[in-house]
Amino acid sequence: MSTTAPARLPRTVLRLHRTALIVWSAFVAGLIGWLVWLNEITVDAVRAAEAECSRALWGCVDIIEHLDYSGPTGYIGTLTCYGFLAVAAFTGGALIGRELESGTARLAWTQGVTPARWLAAKLIVPALVLTAGCAALVLAFRRGWAANRDLMGDHWAFADVFVARGPATVAYALCALAVGTLTALLLRRALPALAVSVATMGLLNVVLERCRARLWPAETRTAPKPFELPDDAWRLEWGRTGTGHYATYHPASHFWPLHLVETGIVLAVAALATAAAFAVLRRRTA
Amino acid sequence: MTAAPTLPAAPAGRPDHPHRPPRQLRWLLRLHRPAVLVWTAFVLVTGAALLWLGGPLTDASAAAWKEYNACAFAERCSYDQDAIVRYKDVYSYTTIALLAAPFLVAAWAGGSLTGRETESGTARLAWTQGVTPARWLAARLALPAVLVAVSTGLLVHLHRLAWTAGEGRIDTAKPWYDFATFYANGTVPVALALAGLCAGALEGLLLRRSLAALTTATVVLGGLWATVHTALPHLWPTVTRVSSLRNGPSGTGITTGEGVLTADGDRLTAPCSSGMIPGCRTELADLGAVNFYRDVHPVAHYWPLQLTASGVLLAVAALLVLAAFRVLRLRTAGPAGKGGPA
Repeated sequence: MSTTAPARLPRTVLRLHRTALIVWSAFVAGLIGWLVWLNEITVDAVRAAEAECSRALWGCVDIIEHLDYSGPTGYIGTLTCYGFLAVAAFTGGALIGRELESGTARLAWTQGVTPARWLAAKLIVPALVLTAGCAALVLAFRRGWAANRDLMGDHWAFADVFVARGPATVAYALCALAVGTLTALLLRRALPALAVSVATMGLLNVVLERCRARLWPAETRTAPKPFELPDDAWRLEWGRTGTGHYATYHPASHFWPLHLVETGIVLAVAALATAAAFAVLRRRTA
Repeated sequence: MTAAPTLPAAPAGRPDHPHRPPRQLRWLLRLHRPAVLVWTAFVLVTGAALLWLGGPLTDASAAAWKEYNACAFAERCSYDQDAIVRYKDVYSYTTIALLAAPFLVAAWAGGSLTGRETESGTARLAWTQGVTPARWLAARLALPAVLVAVSTGLLVHLHRLAWTAGEGRIDTAKPWYDFATFYANGTVPVALALAGLCAGALEGLLLRRSLAALTTATVVLGGLWATVHTALPHLWPTVTRVSSLRNGPSGTGITTGEGVLTADGDRLTAPCSSGMIPGCRTELADLGAVNFYRDVHPVAHYWPLQLTASGVLLAVAALLVLAAFRVLRLRTAGPAGKGGPA
């Protein structure tokens, strides 16, 4: 029994949560498919409209068709970024909270599966699935977002675009998994755990979003005359001093340092929450 | 104390016993005390933020805009940039919170109100304690409906007050037809919250699983809102604004279509948008266009649109309630129910 249980455990987790697995796969595949559609089909229609209006003498200023491309691309970024809220809800509610509430977790622990191993399987399998899905989403979004910059009106510093273009998406999903697990172990009831983990992750995201610009030293430029920053700079503060003009900003090259520092913080929270979850579990089952 | 609601009820038998309905409600409030507390906190915090937004924040932001506009392009200029940013932040946070409220209601109604009790079987237990299933469901719908309608109504009213306070004083204030502002200022969130409550109650009874009902109710409400949003511009006849070829199409509001009119009154797609540009002028002349037109909902259509959309949502909510009672009757008619009325 004890030799087969560890091997069966991941399969049990997958089978028990197959609905969630199907929904997640559909979400990832749907968003990637939508991106491909936008960049293969929609973009041609937009370019055709552009060509149509540039044939005329007066040229094009703003074409309404751009919105058909930029709007959905923006939605995909938003969904990619905030998908971790659904992960928190699933983990707090269905993955851990439900089993603790109904007592099936206790039943599993009597069947040759130690509580720590049970929790490890419950965390590793979803973590792998989430990492794979998020990585695919991020890679697809990075390509889609960069493919037709002239059609887009957004900026790399937008809250959702910032997260969706790198490993922070994966980090937030893993953190939601860990935080959901911890709250579920603490509350041992599915619905409260669901609500608290979503609220906690939302709060963490809002706090980090507000501190984001300070995660890497910004650059300051001063000049006696008014000046323009490049379009891809993230302008933080600007105005006049006694002697001239100043602006503090993050150039586009700061994206990776900023992004990786935030990823590190989120992963650290995830690690702490995981450690705390195992500690709580050990104390509960001791 | 906890047994009090059930004991005197059992011998009474008939459902029109004067004591039972208030006891049902008290029981319901007690059972969902955490949810009531969380919801109260949510309403208080959002309401306080909206009052703060409409009062001090609007004044500070308006003063900053005044300073900013007064300096024009002057060499030395100072204005309170933070006040402007703070107003924008609090405005968007409160608007998002208000628009998320119906989803919270739907999730709670699906997960907790009916889904949990049908999953765990406490609903069946309640039905054996002198509470008829219909009465059980009626109490579960009526009291939350009143609380939800009153509290979302209050939030919407405060949002409207806060938005009106900034109108014309804050240069970057959202226009009335901005998607989020349009909804948050009117009655639609109240109707959405009620529809969410009914959708959640129905899903809980149908699926008899708490988490599944929570998810489905939220998705259903999202779909319902998306449908209403798509249908919204067509819920009330638009006004056609006709403008000269020189000026280009005019009229602001919710636009449903624009183009050019020919002398015969035909509507054609506009190849370009201003007769001031020579190339455009010739192309418009080739088409035989005499005017630009634009179909819009002006600000006067705000309430007709809001009330029609709310009415549609309330009708959907009523249908969901009917369906919920029907599902409940089918479910409970099983062993002994059918014999009763015959």
